[in-house]
Amino acid sequence: MTSSPTLSRRAVSSKAPLPRKSRQRAADARAGYTFLLPWLLGFIALTVGPMISSLYLSFTNYNLFEAPKWIGFDNYATLFQDERFLQSVGVTVGYVVFGTPLKLAAALAVAMLLNSKRKGQGFYRSAFYAPSLVGASVSIAIVWKAMFGDSGPVDQGLSFFGINLGGWVGNPSMTMPMFILLTVWQFGAPMVIFLAGLKQIPADLYEAASMDGAGPVRKFFNITWPMLSPVIFFNLLMETIHAFQIFNSAYIISNGEGGPAGSTLFYTLYLYLRGFSDFRMGYASAMAWLLLIVVGILTLIIFRTSKSWVHYSGDSK
Amino acid sequence: MINRRYFLTTVVVGTASAGILAACGTGPNNSGQTGSAENPVTIRYTWWGNDDRAERTRKAIALFESKNPDIKVNGNFSDGASYFQQRATEAAGGGLPDVMQFDLIYLRDYAQRNQLLDLGTVKIDTSGFEKSLLPSGQVRGKTYGIPNSTNAFGVFYDPAKLASLGVKAPDGNWNYDQYKAFLRDVGSKGGGAVYGSADFTGIWWMFNIWLRQNNIEAFTSDGKLGFAKDDLKKWWSLTADLRGTPAIVSEERVTQVAPKSPFGAGLTASEMYWDNLMAGYMADSGAKELKLLPVPSNNPDNLGLFLKPSQLMVASAKTKYKDAAARFINFMVNDPEVGDIFKTSRGIPASKGQRDGTTYSGTDTAVVDYEKSIEKYLKDAPEPPIVGFGTLETSFKRVNSDLNYGKLTLDGAVNAWFKEAEDLIKQNA
Repeated sequence: MTSSPTLSRRAVSSKAPLPRKSRQRAADARAGYTFLLPWLLGFIALTVGPMISSLYLSFTNYNLFEAPKWIGFDNYATLFQDERFLQSVGVTVGYVVFGTPLKLAAALAVAMLLNSKRKGQGFYRSAFYAPSLVGASVSIAIVWKAMFGDSGPVDQGLSFFGINLGGWVGNPSMTMPMFILLTVWQFGAPMVIFLAGLKQIPADLYEAASMDGAGPVRKFFNITWPMLSPVIFFNLLMETIHAFQIFNSAYIISNGEGGPAGSTLFYTLYLYLRGFSDFRMGYASAMAWLLLIVVGILTLIIFRTSKSWVHYSGDSK
Repeated sequence: MINRRYFLTTVVVGTASAGILAACGTGPNNSGQTGSAENPVTIRYTWWGNDDRAERTRKAIALFESKNPDIKVNGNFSDGASYFQQRATEAAGGGLPDVMQFDLIYLRDYAQRNQLLDLGTVKIDTSGFEKSLLPSGQVRGKTYGIPNSTNAFGVFYDPAKLASLGVKAPDGNWNYDQYKAFLRDVGSKGGGAVYGSADFTGIWWMFNIWLRQNNIEAFTSDGKLGFAKDDLKKWWSLTADLRGTPAIVSEERVTQVAPKSPFGAGLTASEMYWDNLMAGYMADSGAKELKLLPVPSNNPDNLGLFLKPSQLMVASAKTKYKDAAARFINFMVNDPEVGDIFKTSRGIPASKGQRDGTTYSGTDTAVVDYEKSIEKYLKDAPEPPIVGFGTLETSFKRVNSDLNYGKLTLDGAVNAWFKEAEDLIKQNA
């Protein structure tokens, strides 16, 4: 994530005459912008530029070879008659709705376990964080594919308990649980943030609650949850956005096809296939912008609802 | 303590950014079109394939460079699945490699959109090629691709597997009912461990061959579909009574073993595909010997078979080194020593010079013998299919897979594919 550096407005000695002060300020600003320049250039060339051109392309018929042809809102209109598009929306929404809360719950639960002082804490923290470091990589997707494949470790482990599901990879009703497990397993990043948040909660609150006879459940809902709510809010937002963008693992596990029977046809995967396999870059651009708009609206909704459940220090609530 | 302002400024909605693709004209001699031994030009060449093909290609490149010291070849390869996605990206950035290995299914897309060099404008020797083969590299009367080798369709089977199951080896004189009886026989004796084959009606080219057996061309010369919904329905219902039985391996298992084919993974005793995959199947399955038979047909005089260019050599329309690119293509398709390096792993060499220069043994002999055995049935190779054919072939496989998963009815599957095909043809009209 990038955040723009803010310029220092350090006041120079008050005895200095005004012109010198403003000269100093201008020099500060120049230095600031100079340091900002590499980032700014990158931002314009690699983010703003492509975004504008993709917005333009979304109103065109563009096959990558010939000049784009303007077709207005046709791409957007066609989207809603495209059964595979609707299928990809269904798959992605299912993944976000089930995967994200489970992942956050796992992250919070483990963060709370790791928050207490025990022997070997450092080891456990690294061990739980490690999966999310390698999680996005191609190799993990390949490992998961093997694990959940026919007579892979998962299949064999379950049949030991008398559950015979066969391989998950080829079974359209088992692929979604597999992807949700994969994302839940990569809870490391939100966990670290939760852990940082938990450390910020003053211990005396818990001590006071204990003296008043509150149990662990009560402490969680009356102290941990409200004190942690800004962090929960942050993680919810980031993980929701993140979940909409799932691509790598879906591409690898389904051999870039979204199978079996379209059960792993995630939104971004279909977008990619439309753009680079079917040469319909205008259509893919329309999909990308629709995703941006939907994620934007969702973000707005989460922000709005946050007023009723997120508590900031210093707020009157 | 966390305060609100800090918080709101920290939350940044990330947006994906696109990479910039730079096309580099390499080589110290950017200004001129020809090089010299001291100052060679560098051309880029790309192909798809496995490690085996990469090794053979490197040998061929080294040989070319030793015979042509004024040209350097910068080779680069990927697997088949992502090959044309990479080319599409390069084409969009105007940076296609100088020379590429190409497939018939995308030839028209790239040629009609002015991405490929008209090879009629450069010097390439085509005297050693069968006249019936060259049209498959032509689009609208111009030559854009030169076949480096040919392949033909056939039915593979594993004789050792059949023997261990107690199934009598077939002789290749069969109609579809007899072929299906063979699949049932394998399935029932295979006891759930070995199946007859995968659902062969999911293979586009086999459908194409079946259409030709019924005297139908898949596409009309003006770029429309040459067959009706009824034809496709007939084709997909051919295996309707086998789906869900041990004669055909379940779609679940097929997906599990991908990207290996079910035959390569040892799930089935037979599979229909292009004959040059023999070596690949043997490597995948570890079988000691595989046999090839002609495809079934209800008309024993018309097997619908043809020689297809297994790969074509093409050059980018934007290449700065037309002459060097042409010399490299000419070398790859005509040089006898190159034929002997690849043997039948690309297919059977397309030019006479390479066929004569190649010594065959083992697997290669089997493929050559098979093509000899079907020689009298061969018809002209089809023209490069319509623009967007790559998408149609992929969706053919996918829709058939949905049919096998029971996600679509027969009519639903036929309609789904036709809807996509008609949409695509309209799109590219």
